[in-house]
Amino acid sequence: MRLINSGAEAKIYSGMLFGTEIIVKERRAKPYRIAQLDSELREARTKSEARVLYEVGVAGVNAPRLLGVGKFSIYATRIKGKLLIDDGVGRIDFGKIGMQLALMHNANVAHGDFTPANIMKSGKEYFIIDFGLSEITSSVEEKAIDLLLLKRSIGPGQYARFAKGYARISKDPKPVIARLEEIEKRGRYQVRTLA
Amino acid sequence: MLVLGIESSAHTFGVGIVDRGKVLSNEKMMFNITDKGLIPGKVAQTHIKNAPMTVKRALESAKIKITDIEGVGYTRGPGLGPCLQVGELTAKMIAKRLGVKIAQVNHGAAHVEIARDAAKMRDPLALYVSGGNSQILKAVEKPFKHYEIIGETFDIGVGNMIDNFARGAKLNPAWGSTVAKMAQNGKYVRLPYTVKGMDFAFTGLLTSAIKMLGKESKEDVCYSIQETAFSMLCEATERALLLTRSKELCVCGGVAQSARLREMLAMVAKENGARFGFAANEFNADNGGMIAFLAERMLKSGMDSKIEQCGVEQRYRIDRARIA
Repeated sequence: MRLINSGAEAKIYSGMLFGTEIIVKERRAKPYRIAQLDSELREARTKSEARVLYEVGVAGVNAPRLLGVGKFSIYATRIKGKLLIDDGVGRIDFGKIGMQLALMHNANVAHGDFTPANIMKSGKEYFIIDFGLSEITSSVEEKAIDLLLLKRSIGPGQYARFAKGYARISKDPKPVIARLEEIEKRGRYQVRTLA
Repeated sequence: MLVLGIESSAHTFGVGIVDRGKVLSNEKMMFNITDKGLIPGKVAQTHIKNAPMTVKRALESAKIKITDIEGVGYTRGPGLGPCLQVGELTAKMIAKRLGVKIAQVNHGAAHVEIARDAAKMRDPLALYVSGGNSQILKAVEKPFKHYEIIGETFDIGVGNMIDNFARGAKLNPAWGSTVAKMAQNGKYVRLPYTVKGMDFAFTGLLTSAIKMLGKESKEDVCYSIQETAFSMLCEATERALLLTRSKELCVCGGVAQSARLREMLAMVAKENGARFGFAANEFNADNGGMIAFLAERMLKSGMDSKIEQCGVEQRYRIDRARIA
């Protein structure tokens, strides 16, 4: 096993299993959180992430395939590619990314941390990774937050292409788009005039 | 440059005097909080009564005369309208009388800037936590120098959440430090924990904690609401640290006075190889010193306003406030 990434939440190791490259995501203990809250959170998030990975697999979303689950660790297939935030990722087809998110939302999964740091380009395809904050939910609000997070991290033209792809595949895009607009107006001390 | 700063966004009327980035005096008079929270009109009346005395005290403890003052700054917002207006009027009066320049300061930006200076940091990631605000901030230069909001609360500020809970639990006085004291003998019970990337929400936690008061001991709920809320802030902050790759982290605002929150953030910083710092408590509570501090720099970089253009803005977002 080789450490390939050390994120805010988890360490990710890679290794081989029956000739396939796999990853193991292990949620680290956070020293700032009291032990009980910390292990409850880590265990619940591991369990929920495994369930989400299973659901997105069934829905045919481009994502790591779930192989197994431990108390604080998840075993899944490894996606080889470049993150959108990496250098040399090349041209990005945001429409395709929108379609992937819509496919996921159609299966009632909200990602929870949908930023370019969690989208990987592999060949001509785009893969969604890190379902650590994802939820199985039909909530329009949660889905709209996915769009909001990505919108905040990309340019307006890129977002327009993304939204187009999303609307093409989504079973019900209108309420999600409407909620997104509402959330954007909701920020603290945001000016609500049209000026 | 001798600058007098006035803060009056909430229950504190504060006057501070700064010279070349050094705070010479920092005086304040406060509206006495009862269990009912703040009624803006009433607080403003108290501010009007306290204003002349606070200015006088600030001048006395800085050992200067009012005619020595070379510039004035005041809080434009965010805050409670009637309260802000008292500070605005006082500042305008002094500036007009003395014929000196006046600067309109953003309250949150002043909190961050005084903490950044106290911690001797250049370009930190800042967690700004107070009654009405909970934001993760980072300075950007374009189109003008201001603080960008990287993450923030989706609903209420962490301070208001804890004060609200304290009132629900009938604590006296109903604010954070009483909750912290009660928490010392508590144990953990499970409460909702809501973090979305670098944003967070507190109303779900507040509602559940108040509902839980009948079932669990007050000490336990105090302990758990504090641990849960602060853990949420720490998690979002840690994610922001990793994203921005910042090697400096500071905390500011009223809730930054919490020893527990500081302890937790120090661990977050250490884990990620960042330096951690904060200002003295007098600058985390609302105060005029921080307003004078930022006003001096704004005036020096030519950001003074015409007296007729000065006003207040209850929802003055930090990301619209130019700071240099």
